[in-house]
Amino acid sequence: MNLQEEKPPFWGSWGRIYAALGLYLASVIALFTWFTWSWNQ
Amino acid sequence: MRPLDWWVLGASLAGVALYGVWRSRGSRTTQQYLLADRTMPWYAMALSIMATQASAITFISTTGQSYVDGMRFVQMYLGLPLAMILISAFAVPRFHASGVFTAYEYLEKRFDAKTRALASIIFLLSRGLAVGVALSAPAVVLTVILGLPSHWTTLIMGALAVAYTASGGIAAVTWTEFVQMLVMTAGILAALLTVIFLLPAEVGLREALAVAGAAGKLNAAVWRFDWNDQYNIWSGVIGGMFLSLSYFGCDQSQVQRYLTGKSVAQSRLGLLFNGVAKIPMQFFILFTGAMVFVFYVHTQPPLVFHPQAMKALERQAAFSLLKQEYDAAFAQRKAAAQRLDLPAFREAHGRVDEIRGRALALAGQAMGQERVNDTNYVFLWFVVHHIPAGVVGLIMAAIFAAAMSTISAEINSLATVTMVDIYRRFLRREERDGHYLASSRWLTLFWGAYAMVTALYAQNLGSLVEAVNRLGSLFYGTLLGVFILAFFFPRVKGTPAFLAMILGEAAVIAVWRSTDLAFLWLNAIGCFVVVASGCLLSAGARAAHRPA
Repeated sequence: MNLQEEKPPFWGSWGRIYAALGLYLASVIALFTWFTWSWNQ
Repeated sequence: MRPLDWWVLGASLAGVALYGVWRSRGSRTTQQYLLADRTMPWYAMALSIMATQASAITFISTTGQSYVDGMRFVQMYLGLPLAMILISAFAVPRFHASGVFTAYEYLEKRFDAKTRALASIIFLLSRGLAVGVALSAPAVVLTVILGLPSHWTTLIMGALAVAYTASGGIAAVTWTEFVQMLVMTAGILAALLTVIFLLPAEVGLREALAVAGAAGKLNAAVWRFDWNDQYNIWSGVIGGMFLSLSYFGCDQSQVQRYLTGKSVAQSRLGLLFNGVAKIPMQFFILFTGAMVFVFYVHTQPPLVFHPQAMKALERQAAFSLLKQEYDAAFAQRKAAAQRLDLPAFREAHGRVDEIRGRALALAGQAMGQERVNDTNYVFLWFVVHHIPAGVVGLIMAAIFAAAMSTISAEINSLATVTMVDIYRRFLRREERDGHYLASSRWLTLFWGAYAMVTALYAQNLGSLVEAVNRLGSLFYGTLLGVFILAFFFPRVKGTPAFLAMILGEAAVIAVWRSTDLAFLWLNAIGCFVVVASGCLLSAGARAAHRPA
């Protein structure tokens, strides 16, 4: 059974979509850190 | 609530229920009733998954939590995108390829019947304990605020959810949740925009943020690590990831949602969308709570938000003195906020907090409790007393939608597991499909009735409600561990996996009973013990069977 056979409808591969989601998480953490440092003092 | 609000609430409740029944008409097989014939598009699954997760008490509590404790609760969701990636990559294709109705059915294909039965029973026990609380907790809060008898609130929410769930099965649950999530989003946005609009004219967004931040309400990122505190970046990313893996990977109320997908790709997109959208959604709910705090910096709130506790407090001899102190501290805090004198504001805010703490303790003594917690009442108090007619109805509709979406998903998944993993597997194996379809409907009615009866009973349990709710989440790590064994350790067989689940559960209960470890970590511990002991027992069994 090839578990990876079904292609996503965009961006060509699931690996790229997962990487984008990882990047999104890193950006959210950076944004929250900036938000906290800017205002929560 | 004014007549317009009742109309908005009533129309929303009836409209959502009728829409669900209409979209799911014609369920004639168990495959249609329990899996919607695997025809669901990704956007329906995505919003339905989010709606199941957002219970009413989360909706009500989260805003109050932000008012009292700040926005750090949002960090609990930071592990979610990672969990969605792992479940999309490893769980979704396996569940789809095996053609199962439930997650636990997969365990029999991989291990044996006893492992499947144990996992099913763990699920039925933990969810069965929680379903009454999911119905009773919002009913109690809404009752206090709306003035309706509590059994009416419970029965209205419960009966509507049971009616469309029993009628249309998973398709009705998914499509009603799709609409309920839209109602919830409208309710959140309406609340946030209204609270910003209600701030005094001289308070802009910048001033509001400065005041909320000075009171420590904008702490969305806490980098300090503490084992006993679950609201920091580390426990959010790691502990939150294990919690989300357990919930989305092993809890039938979520697994069943993505088993209904048209394809692996559609199911994955539904989950990944949830990973993207959930954090901003929680951020905005919490930010609404922070803005409610700013509103109450400029408009004097009651000393205690819990209406019954406030009445009990007013009967105390010390009340008038406490009220005078509170009025003076509030006036000082408001003046400091208007001048944007943040050091003076912080000092006055500390005094207001300290007086409120004494008031909650005094109200608790008067009510025979150690201390009253009014967090759940902050947002509803604001909604009922300050928000214009029509918008109140929309926000109440959002809260009812959140409650009903969680309840319908839970009774549907409980009925599915009881039918597929217990009744069809162990009691009546060779019946025709129509018999199983009818059984699924009857079991949905049974679990719905059970939820309503336990909800009515749970209202008298007080703080036990929270204990029961927490008890339910003690089982997640064990379930996650056995699925990890199933997916990634092909040499581990049935009996070691079964014994590992028992050892994992024993370890979680031992740690829970003997330490103050933050709850999020228990899932990771349970999972680790199951995987480690499963591998060791399996290696031991292989060694014992090897010829000398």
